[in-house]
Formats: sequence, C-alpha cells, structure tokens
Amino acid sequence: MERFLLKRAIVLVVTLTLVSFLAFLVPWIGDTDPARAIIRSRVADLAMDSAAVEALRIKLGLDQPLLHQFFTWLGRVFQGDLGLSFTSRLPVADQILRAIGVSATLALSALFLALAIALPVGTLAAVHQGRRFDGIVTFIAQGFVSIPEYWLAPVLVLLFAVELGWLPSAGWSGFETLILPAAVLCLRPLAYFSQVMRASMIDVLHANYILAARSRGLGLAGALVRHGLRNGIQPVLTVFALWLAGLLGGSVVVEVIFAIPGMGRLIYSAVINNDMPMLQGSIICIVGLAIVINTTADVLYGVLNPTVTVSGDAR
Amino acid sequence: MTFLTRIVRWTMRQHWTFIAGLLCGTTVALLLIAAPVISLHDPVAQNLSMRLQGPGGDHWLGNDQLGRDLWARLLYGGRFSVVVAALTLVLSVTIGTVIGAWCGRVGGAIDEFVMRVVDVLISFPEIIVALFLIAIIGPGFGTLVLALTLVGWTPFARLARGIALDISSRDYIAAAEVLGCTRTFILLRHVIPNALRPISAMTFLRFGHKLITVGALSYLGLGVQPPDSDWGAMLADARQFAVRQPLLVFAPGIAIMVTALSVTLMGQGLEIDADRSRRLRAGQS
Repeated sequence: MERFLLKRAIVLVVTLTLVSFLAFLVPWIGDTDPARAIIRSRVADLAMDSAAVEALRIKLGLDQPLLHQFFTWLGRVFQGDLGLSFTSRLPVADQILRAIGVSATLALSALFLALAIALPVGTLAAVHQGRRFDGIVTFIAQGFVSIPEYWLAPVLVLLFAVELGWLPSAGWSGFETLILPAAVLCLRPLAYFSQVMRASMIDVLHANYILAARSRGLGLAGALVRHGLRNGIQPVLTVFALWLAGLLGGSVVVEVIFAIPGMGRLIYSAVINNDMPMLQGSIICIVGLAIVINTTADVLYGVLNPTVTVSGDAR
Repeated sequence: MTFLTRIVRWTMRQHWTFIAGLLCGTTVALLLIAAPVISLHDPVAQNLSMRLQGPGGDHWLGNDQLGRDLWARLLYGGRFSVVVAALTLVLSVTIGTVIGAWCGRVGGAIDEFVMRVVDVLISFPEIIVALFLIAIIGPGFGTLVLALTLVGWTPFARLARGIALDISSRDYIAAAEVLGCTRTFILLRHVIPNALRPISAMTFLRFGHKLITVGALSYLGLGVQPPDSDWGAMLADARQFAVRQPLLVFAPGIAIMVTALSVTLMGQGLEIDADRSRRLRAGQS
C-alpha cells in the first residue's frame, strides 16, 4: 500500500510539472508576442510604441532564457499567483477559484441526481436481466447518450421557461437556476451509471454470499440491500470520479447556454478573447484536479475493497 | 459475389440491435453521400422572401432564417461532423490498438508509464482539449481531428492491452507456439480475429460521443467555419428563431440523435454478442 501511494505521488508530481511546462509554453506555440498582447489588452492600441514593448519585455523578464523564465513562473504559480487576466485585469487565481466552486456545485448536483436514479434502475435491470424491462432500460440509456446537450437545453428552456414559465431560462442565482442545467447534464452520466450498475449487480447476483444470504431465508430484496449494494456500487463510484473530473471543466456548452459563471464558460471566453494567463491557469487547474480526483478514487477503491491487490492495476 | 453473400450471412447472424443500427446508419450515410442528387436546392442560396417558411412545395422541410432550404442544409451539414467523427475514430482506434497491444506484450516500465499517461488523459474532457488547441493554433478541420484524437486513443489502448494480455495467456496460443507457428501467423490467425469484435464494438459505441462533441464545438462557433455549416452550427443559428419556426431547432437535433443512436446500436449489438461468446468460452473452460 505504501509503495502504491508513493508511486502515485511520484506520477502526480511528474505529470503536474510536465503539464505546467506545457501550459507555460502556450503563448510561445501560438505566434502571439506576450509583451504586445499585454499592451494591446491594456490600451487597445494597435499601433504601439516599440520602446514601450521593449521596456515591458525587460520588466517581465522575457529577455531571459526560456528555462529561467519557466522556473520564475513556476515559483509564482506555487504561491498562487497565476497572473492577471488580459480581459478583466483581475487576478486569474481568484476568478478560477470562484468558477471551480460554481462548476463543482453544478457537477455534483447533476451527478448525484444521476446516481439517485441510476442505482435503483440499474439494480432492477440486473434483476430482470434479459427480459423486457432490461431491454427498455438499455435502449433508453443509449438514447440518452445520443442526445446533444446543445439541443436538449434550448428545448427545455423553450418548454419550461418560455411556454410554462416555471423556471428561469438562464443565470446563476439559487436553486431554481440549478434545476434545468443539472437536468440536462445528468442524462449522460445517468446512462453510464445505470449500465455500470447493471453489469456489476449481475455479477453480484451470481455471488455466493447472495446465495448464502438467501438460503438463510432472506428475500432477494433484503439480500441485495444488505449485502449486494455495498459490493455492487464500487465500480459505479470509480465512474463517478471520472465524471466529476470531466464535468469540472467539460460542461462548457451547458454553462454557455445557461450563462453559468463556471469553469467551462471561463475557458470558453478565454479562448474567444485569446486570454493567455487565464488559459494557462485553467489548464493547470483542470489537469491538476483531474489527476487528484482520480488518484483519490483509486486509493479509496483500495480502501473500500480490501480484496483488490493495490499494485497499479486492480486484480 | 460469394464474398457479398458471406457478408450478408454474417450480418443476419448478429444481434437485432446491430442490424437495426446498420440499416438506419447506412440510410443516413447514403443520404449524406447522395446529398447533391437528392436535394433540389443549393444549401447556401438565400431567398429572403421565403424566410422561416414552413414545409411546403419543393421545400420539404421549409426554409431557415435566411430563406435557405432546410432539407438541403441538413444533408450538406451532416457531412462535416460525420467525416470529422469518423476520421478521428479511425485514427484513435489505430493508434490506441497499436500502443495498447504493444504495451501488453512488452510489459514492464514502458507499460507502466504508458498506462499512467492513459489514466491522466482518459478523464480529460475532449471538448476542453479541443478548446485549448483552438486557442493555440486556431479553429479548423485539422485542429478538430487532432484534438479529438489526442485523448481519443486512450480507451482503445486500455482495451487492446487487456485483450492482448488475455489472449496471450490462453492455451491455444501456447499450442500454436508449440506447433511452431510464426509470430506473424499467430497474430493474424488468432490475436486479430479475437480482438476485432470488442474493439469494433467500442469504436461504434464512441462514435455518438465524437459526433456530439464536434457539433458542440460548431455550436460554440469554434468548429466548422462559415460559409460551411453543420448540425451544431445550424442549431446555434436557429436558437433565436425557435419560437417562430420550431422545426429549425428540431430537425438538426433529431439528425444528430438518429445518426448517433444508429451507430451506438450497432456497437451495442456487437457488444452483446461479444459478451455472449465470452460467457460461452468461460463456461467451456
């Protein structure tokens, strides 16, 4: 276990360093001159003074060797200083922190909603394996995966906000504004969760401990709730972690459509406005979070299920 | 001819969802390929006097906000996303399978390293990678394909590695080796045929996701660039006219859904059979 944790910690550090180096290189890959871009973002002047550009270049240390610049930059990143956004001229770190909170709220609401529906549905489908209920659930799941969010979202807005007037059409100001985006976002994880739950419960149903519990006189439902659920839910938790990492920045379309000030929309507007510091900050943040969440999930998986030998690849 | 009948026979033996998906998917593909023949109108020809008209006459689905024929736009619009999604998948499958199978065979530190890379990339949303790449090298066909392939190969690598490990530990491989078969022969005769079904099942199952991601980028204005259009871009354009002409919103959405669903059904059909034959094998051993 210690060796596993150590290995994971090394991988974590190496990956994060690599990713931050890539993020650092971003302005150099595109052909935007950072000094010019910064001046343009501040004074919106296209015909700029070349002396001013040169002065800023020296002030920012852009005349230093690349690796030297990288380590200076990395040092600042470790202190939580990701620079100023080109567009808002506010600290990038503050904006990202606020956006991550919003995205996490949205992602967790959608995922728990999906979980609440998928667990019973997946279990029922496993119990009815091969019969009509199972077929219908699988078909609906495939249908959910095939619905684009950017189609469902406007249609739901049209129905619940414009026609019926029950819910607000966009914004981020409390529980009501959370309902529609969470509903749109939960469909795809719902489909995956229910399929994973179904597959794992099918294995559980054939396990000896269920047979033993039933032979002691416990009904099927009782046996599943008392012994099956705990085992069957583990693969779903792994998928849950994957989805959480994915949705923290990946709900771009839903956040743009519903005007939610989360990570996805932040990245989108950074791309549109060519806001380099914001892009660098969000790359580090998103990749870092994804790695941390997945590592935590792996470790938790080992803790929850002691029979899994934790040596890199399970079993 | 015999080849054709063999294909038909093989198809008829598959699960019914595969056949349903195949029929539906082929229809969509034929419609997209034959777009110049079937559509009576030019997809970019504007006719402002026909703005937001409902279906009627030779405009089978009506006209959009600029009076362009919706049916023609639907046919031509599908081409971009479907081609990007399909091309990305072909690249992802090839790269992923080669890397995964290779890792499974060599093992050791290389295997460990590549699988950790896969662990990191696999949870990374494709749309974010695409957005970052667009920010760096600008939007376009190549950017989309590159971005979607960059993370797209990972699930295939994981699957191919698992299959390679599984197959190479089987008795019939050992038997073939004892019989003196060459490595190439074993690869062609045993490894590839056994790996083909699960890998193609996953390929079909990933298609819908790719298609939707391409559409999402176009919806955000970062995928297909004007004057070309695709279903995602059409949805974005139609949004403000949704109340006056709902068909403008419904048609592209349903087109994406039908295309994605039919390919997904094919994948599911293949997967069901893969499960069934695996259970049969497990039962025998």
